Amino acid sequence: MIWFQLQSLMGSYPLALRGLGMTIALSGISLVLGTILGFAFGVLRTSGSRLLDSAIGLWVDLIRGTPFLVQIFLIFFILPELGVELDAFTAGIIALTNLAACFICEIVAAGIRSVPTGQVEAALASGLSQWQRMRQVVLPQAMRVSLPPLVGQYVLLIKDSSVVSAIGLTDLTRVGWLVVQRVPNGLLVFAIVGIGYFAVCYPLILLARRLERRMSAAHGEVQL
Amino acid sequence: MIEFRGVNKWFGALHVLKDITLSVEPREVVVVCGPSGSGKSTLIRCINGLETIKDGDLVVDGQRLGDRATNMTELRTEIGFVFQAFNLYPHKTALENVTLAPIHVRKIARAEAEASGREMLAKVGLADKFNAYPSELSGGQQQRVAIARCLCMRPKIMLFDEPTSALDPEMISEVLDVMVGVAEERMTMMVVTHEMGFARKVAQRVVFMDAGAVVETGTPEEFFSDPKTDRSRAFLSKILRH
Ligand SMILES: Nc1ncnc2c1ncn2[C@@H]1O[C@H](COP(=O)(O)OP(=O)(O)OP(=O)(O)O)[C@@H](O)[C@H]1O
Ligand SMILES: [Mg+2]
Repeated sequence: MIWFQLQSLMGSYPLALRGLGMTIALSGISLVLGTILGFAFGVLRTSGSRLLDSAIGLWVDLIRGTPFLVQIFLIFFILPELGVELDAFTAGIIALTNLAACFICEIVAAGIRSVPTGQVEAALASGLSQWQRMRQVVLPQAMRVSLPPLVGQYVLLIKDSSVVSAIGLTDLTRVGWLVVQRVPNGLLVFAIVGIGYFAVCYPLILLARRLERRMSAAHGEVQL
Repeated sequence: MIEFRGVNKWFGALHVLKDITLSVEPREVVVVCGPSGSGKSTLIRCINGLETIKDGDLVVDGQRLGDRATNMTELRTEIGFVFQAFNLYPHKTALENVTLAPIHVRKIARAEAEASGREMLAKVGLADKFNAYPSELSGGQQQRVAIARCLCMRPKIMLFDEPTSALDPEMISEVLDVMVGVAEERMTMMVVTHEMGFARKVAQRVVFMDAGAVVETGTPEEFFSDPKTDRSRAFLSKILRH
């Protein structure tokens, strides 16, 4: 019995690889875009404009306060109503990028706020422009605080990407659903799906731990 | 070079600077002293715009602060500021600390900036510490890097806010010696400090502040040996005791 199931599981490996590829592509693209956006939001939040700060803050709270599944459905079903044609992959990327940006924004903003005011004053006093102060003085020190939670957040976001299977994207989780219909052993199938996610996330978990240990050794800046 | 005319400043309800009128001539060294909370830091932080004033005029290097025509970022490149807490960039080496602004603000070529950075660090006695991070330096060494960081910008004015009061006693003189050297090169300086030896040696004037107002000004000789007001006498008797 198990033997037959294993054999037909073996037969599903091209599908499994496709699912894994989809999960990696989706998370990879969204995390890169989300990181860029999240940094931009984080810098803007701390740039001194009250209006920007509260506008971004409100958006972040809204996204953090609603289920990701609901956000995906909103994007996937509402945007086409408004005339924006979307395939499931694009919708997934948008939803996951937005989610990533919101979490990363908070991590980056917290890191920036942790840099002592004396640092900004020294940079200010020597005539550095706002962007130079950010780039040369504040961000490198903020990264020291932000990098470990940032990598930790990546792990959470990769796992959250499983929710996109709900709009029909054939990611790792959906492959699990498809295979289970052929091989009626949910335990076995989803154990393998779990292993797939773990294989993607574990290197990041190790990296986060390593960064955290490195922080105490570095002179205020984390070298990768 | 620096001129305060009827300057007032409040922190909320607290009147921190009360009708300050004071001027510092080019190449003059002025020492500011007074009890804690009297507004000394606030006074010199206004000069490079780390604090903004409420009313009155503050003219620095011919430019009136708060005017539209005054580019604060540009003006700051002409004013060095030395902090009590050093505020070196912890993620940069001594050499990177002193070359950051010359490279990015003055747009000097890296090689040239590094050459003059090394020269300046050597001048403050840190020829063997180019590649040390601030965390690897003593307080006195960090403060000397901080002074070199300002001097590398070739400023017209140097401001010091209690540069030695965060230091262990044995490190104070190495920093004061550097400051004396700067003064001897005829830099315009405003120095908040209680170091009377320094004041006597290089200052042309001492300004005594209390409760946000300038209470007395005079030459170091006059001020230290013959203070005119009760408040300055009371203050001097306190700092002389130790
Ligand atoms: N950012 C601020 N917000 C509110 N009050 C402030 C602020 N900075 C300073 N003050 C208050 O203004 C007054 C003057 O402060 P300031 O730092 O200029 O005094 P100081 O003469 O430099 O004192 P010290 O010798 O302790 O450094 C103090 O009462 C202080 O508590
Ligand atoms: Mg002070």
